[in-house]
Amino acid sequence: MIVQELIAIQERCGYLPEDELRALARRISKPLHSLHEVASFYPHFKLHPPKKVEVHVCQDMTCNLRGSQHLKRQLSALADEINPEQIEIKGVSCLGQCDYAPSAVAINDLVYRGLTHDAVCAKVRAAHASELKPQAPADHGSLGWKIDPYNGSPRYDVVKEFVKSRNGDAILKEIETANLRGMGGAGFPTFRKWSAVRAEKGPVKYVVCNADECEPGTFKDRELLRRTPHLVIEGMVLAGLITGATKGTLYIRHEYHDELHAFNHALDQARAEKICGENILGSGLSFPVDVFISPGGYIQGEESALLEAMEDRRGEPRNKPPYPTVQGLFGKPTVINNVETLAWVPSIVKNGGAWYRDGGVNGAPGMRFVSISGDVNKPGVYEVPFGQTVRQLIFETAGGMRDDQKLKAIAPSGPSGGFLPASLPAAALPPKFVKDRFPPNAQAMDILDLTLDLQTLKEMGSMLGAAFVVYGVKCNIVEEALNCVEFYRNESCGKCVPCRLGSQKLTDILKEVLAGRGSRAQLPMVDELAMTMSISSICGLGMVASNPMTTLMKFFAQDLDKYLK
Amino acid sequence: MSNLITLTIDGQEISVPATKTSYDPLGKKKVEIPTTIYDAALELEKKTGKNPIPILCHREHIRPVAVCRVCMVDVGGWTLAPACYRPVEPNMKVQTAATSKRVETSVKILTQLLMADHPSPCEKQQKHGDCELEKLAKDFNVPPSPFAKPAQVKPLDDSSLVIAVDHNACILCDRCVRACNEIRDNQVIGRMGKGYKAQIAFDLNNPMGDSSCVACGECMVSCPTGALTNKSVAIKSDASGDGAKSERITADELKKLPLFEELSRPFLSFNEGSVVRRRFKKGQVICVEGKPGSTAFFIESGKVKIFLQAPLKHVKSKKGKDDQVDWGIFGLIRKFTTGLVDRAADHQDGAAAPRFIPVDAPVSLRFDNPVATLEAGDIFGEMSCMNNYPRSATVAAEEDCVCLEMHRNVLYILQRNKKSRAWLDERYRSRSIENHLRSVGLFATLFSDEAQFQHFVEQMRSRVILKQYTPGEPIFHQGDPADNFYLVRVGFVKVSQDRPGGEQVLKYIGPGGHFGEIGLLSHLPELRELAPPGVRTASCSALDHVELVQISGADFLQLAEQAPQFRERLVKIGVDTLKSNEDQRKKLDGVPLGNFLQQGLMNAQSLLVLDLEKCTRCDECTKACADSHGDITRLIREGLRFDKFLVASSCRSCLDPYCMVGCPVDSIHRRDSREMIIEDWCIGCGNCANNCPYGNINMHGFDELMPDPENPSQKKAYVQQKATMCDLCSDLDGQPSCVYACPHDAAHRMSGEEMLNLVQKGSKT
Repeated sequence: MIVQELIAIQERCGYLPEDELRALARRISKPLHSLHEVASFYPHFKLHPPKKVEVHVCQDMTCNLRGSQHLKRQLSALADEINPEQIEIKGVSCLGQCDYAPSAVAINDLVYRGLTHDAVCAKVRAAHASELKPQAPADHGSLGWKIDPYNGSPRYDVVKEFVKSRNGDAILKEIETANLRGMGGAGFPTFRKWSAVRAEKGPVKYVVCNADECEPGTFKDRELLRRTPHLVIEGMVLAGLITGATKGTLYIRHEYHDELHAFNHALDQARAEKICGENILGSGLSFPVDVFISPGGYIQGEESALLEAMEDRRGEPRNKPPYPTVQGLFGKPTVINNVETLAWVPSIVKNGGAWYRDGGVNGAPGMRFVSISGDVNKPGVYEVPFGQTVRQLIFETAGGMRDDQKLKAIAPSGPSGGFLPASLPAAALPPKFVKDRFPPNAQAMDILDLTLDLQTLKEMGSMLGAAFVVYGVKCNIVEEALNCVEFYRNESCGKCVPCRLGSQKLTDILKEVLAGRGSRAQLPMVDELAMTMSISSICGLGMVASNPMTTLMKFFAQDLDKYLK
Repeated sequence: MSNLITLTIDGQEISVPATKTSYDPLGKKKVEIPTTIYDAALELEKKTGKNPIPILCHREHIRPVAVCRVCMVDVGGWTLAPACYRPVEPNMKVQTAATSKRVETSVKILTQLLMADHPSPCEKQQKHGDCELEKLAKDFNVPPSPFAKPAQVKPLDDSSLVIAVDHNACILCDRCVRACNEIRDNQVIGRMGKGYKAQIAFDLNNPMGDSSCVACGECMVSCPTGALTNKSVAIKSDASGDGAKSERITADELKKLPLFEELSRPFLSFNEGSVVRRRFKKGQVICVEGKPGSTAFFIESGKVKIFLQAPLKHVKSKKGKDDQVDWGIFGLIRKFTTGLVDRAADHQDGAAAPRFIPVDAPVSLRFDNPVATLEAGDIFGEMSCMNNYPRSATVAAEEDCVCLEMHRNVLYILQRNKKSRAWLDERYRSRSIENHLRSVGLFATLFSDEAQFQHFVEQMRSRVILKQYTPGEPIFHQGDPADNFYLVRVGFVKVSQDRPGGEQVLKYIGPGGHFGEIGLLSHLPELRELAPPGVRTASCSALDHVELVQISGADFLQLAEQAPQFRERLVKIGVDTLKSNEDQRKKLDGVPLGNFLQQGLMNAQSLLVLDLEKCTRCDECTKACADSHGDITRLIREGLRFDKFLVASSCRSCLDPYCMVGCPVDSIHRRDSREMIIEDWCIGCGNCANNCPYGNINMHGFDELMPDPENPSQKKAYVQQKATMCDLCSDLDGQPSCVYACPHDAAHRMSGEEMLNLVQKGSKT
């Protein structure tokens, strides 16, 4: 209970005073270092009294592209003008409001999105005058998505059906037919994950829904949690009942206030209707669901780091194997699924696996939610088929390029896949991909023609996530790469050497390059560093942390070369 | 025997059992754990003599964590696998840096990353040449690191007496963390922060020396680099007499002694030379009172005599005969003689009624006969050793004896090691408690007969708890619930109260003193109006390394209930103390001048104030003072200025009487009137004179005939130092010579309040 105890102390005292920590250690019989390890690790915890007004400005990816550095400077000047002793302006990692860029800020832990810079300044003044009010909650109405067979009214048909039929095999079969894959980015088949946990013997198993959506440019779970929390709950309950799990937990990032509220509201209803909890619908089956509020940090999205946080330790990824399906939460078999993955399950079971599978286009199976942000006219969350082209996404779905800019790059997986250029050069891609996908003898391919599905991007040596960040030609792609590299440096947990030191050294190198002190001679060494980070880090963060840098070197050599000697 | 698994490492076949027997972290339970690739490589090494897999964060006896990643090997996947962690599988094909370019590059880059941040050569490399990181770089011919050095250098943590912490050399391998928490179960070290800013930390990121670290040395032994290194100190003996040769003692020899047997062997080996054996012939002096010291002595065999050789006297000035009165240029100069007198001849006003003199040993000396014998198993010199106080008494061999002289690092570990601590506690209970209780003034007059006292000692014997505190550590805070009563055994305790404008020090309590009684008694009707019931009226904290004897409040109150005279005495002490504190507070509350307060002027009973408009700087006041006190002046005509007044440096009875700290024999006290007094058993060490921030205490040498310690039957002349301070010539005729001597009516003696009135009046007009 360390994490939750610390949250309680911070709520009471505003920070974590040393005396309180010593008292807590005595009360729960834990050594001091185990408390301090946790308290000093998570960004939510404050070991010193905070200033009266704490302004957290999102500094990542889309916000950076749209001028958050300028906003931060403007706020710092304001703080200096009012009272720098009482106001702190701090850059923080992605707040999950990329579609509202250029302004996503948290003032005294309240998130404000989509305000003009002047309006943010007014909020800071209000906070200083102790008159800060929360922003009006975001809309949580139904948008008629295919994912929601109930169109916004929670009916839990699938759970009701299951407690009668008890036919888990049938449900698994539909999920297998659908070829539903993990929507958190890794794309692991859901059917296999559930089957593995289902096959584990032992009385205690867990289901964890990963709602710790912290990848820059990614905010689709935010919409699903707020607009369709009942689907997430139904997905969790089904996962629990089918795998024989004893408890389900939603692990949600602490900045998602509206979403937490919506989920808790739906959960209360579900409990009241006996959809979860003890003796579900009088069936004798039980599956309680609760919520764990994350103390913060991108790395918590890594599933084993998330489990470490739930077990009251520093949220550092575990060495794998063993995988969570075998040894997960508290060493027990655990299903960890992304919000969207679980939310798709009710409609897949209701409409049949083939319905979902055939929802894809251009030969790709399935449907997905994508978060589009950056230099487009209509950033936001969209339900789209897998296999749509980049052209369709930008020009049909997202309303075209902002200011009619030409396309410079896309980041189809947030920072973790790095950048893809407007024109894909054959020379920089795997020969097999070029042979299969390029017109004969073509030396380049217009990225607008690229279809976005897991298989295609895997074959081209890239990856597809839920983020889709669009960069117009007005941006400086080298500076944007530095922003991404810094993100990983900031969010590295520090457990393993390649990631902890590599992400810092990459940042150092790119800063030197931007300062005109880089040399071409060091590029092979950067390649070696990137490879070492990829093949020897403990978790995915370290493995992908160099991608912004390597894709910059691979696809944007001309932009980079301007800075090199 | 479990199944054999066959795999190849760089093409060489090796078969190993699928599991191996290990112990749970604390070594209590056997567990079967999977054999790892690294285990297999060790097996192969037995055949080939070579192990191609490097390690930094791993050691065979600890749980693998696979964080340094230098042991990564290629087992066919896209990513590499940590050999220390990954279990072997049948037909696994393992490639190390010897055969895989990917692995070779990975080892090179990881080493270069670590070396970029490494302060090479680190402390460990400099001292012993065995930094594991630097060795790895050398063994794998890793070229110099191309990566930038860190922008910031982290400060060193030098707070522990035995271990130096250099976070710059730390590679976060987690070995010290596992050593502290899993191998030793001491639960002190963790990691703090995140990412590139992560580092190891003690408790709540406290300096190591202030943490709950027991200084077992396991972390230091585990550290692969110079991040945790041993502060080994070769002993420089304090023992006098060249005849006592020092013999080095090996770690093995020490481990055979019960007091040392649980100390970690690596620590003792690291610190070889910090304990030496000394043999003293009968009569030989081991240490001399007043001399500086930094070691403690453990008596292995034989007996020693501990005694005070300084005369039990204080400094006294006497008025000369009338014919010695001279007429100086400006007026009458009085002549005085200054000498030493004992208390029988001259009772000092406010002097403590002494029965025992606390010394740095498990006994206190009787005032009427300050000699005692220490025997095998006793330790003396702890205060000097831990806190660098001068020797409090002279010790000489009563018969041929053998002592172990030890440095602070070793004593520190003895006090913190569980087994040694238990041994020391037991020794206190069986040997020292009686003398200690007898010497405490509070208990001294309590018992009407010896049998009663013995009964009391027996009651306390099993109930007392010895507790250690590090410098600055709070013992309790003002307002805390009162739980225990304390006797001071080693070191000094600061007693202070929170006041508007800051903390005010009420007093310092040294060896032989006691505190904590008021909070335990404040429920009594006599004290009810003076203090809130059941809570501490002041804060107490350790000023240096402190050892306390703790008596629980329940035991203490039981004692008070049993013995009405005890209760009465305590009540009186409580009432007096509380009233005096209250008086002082009232006095201070009315004073607006912060500086005036801070400088301690407000408390002063008699300041020497010079009116600068009248003073011609002729210095007659200083000369008169010197003339009156055996040519040693007790005042300096310099000091603080307020308006047109100068407050000359003479004792001002400060708010924080720092001079009281560190008197090894508790011979400097405050009178009831708050002025300072030096008691007869001053040994002339000079600590108080050094401590006085205003230079108002002076050492005064007197020729004395004393028994020759080398040859007790004869007497020998030598200079005995005694501390002196301004007593307003109260031992003369109450007319301070300085004022008397001033030819310009510029020198006046007045109280702090009078002075303030004068200044305020001056500023209004």
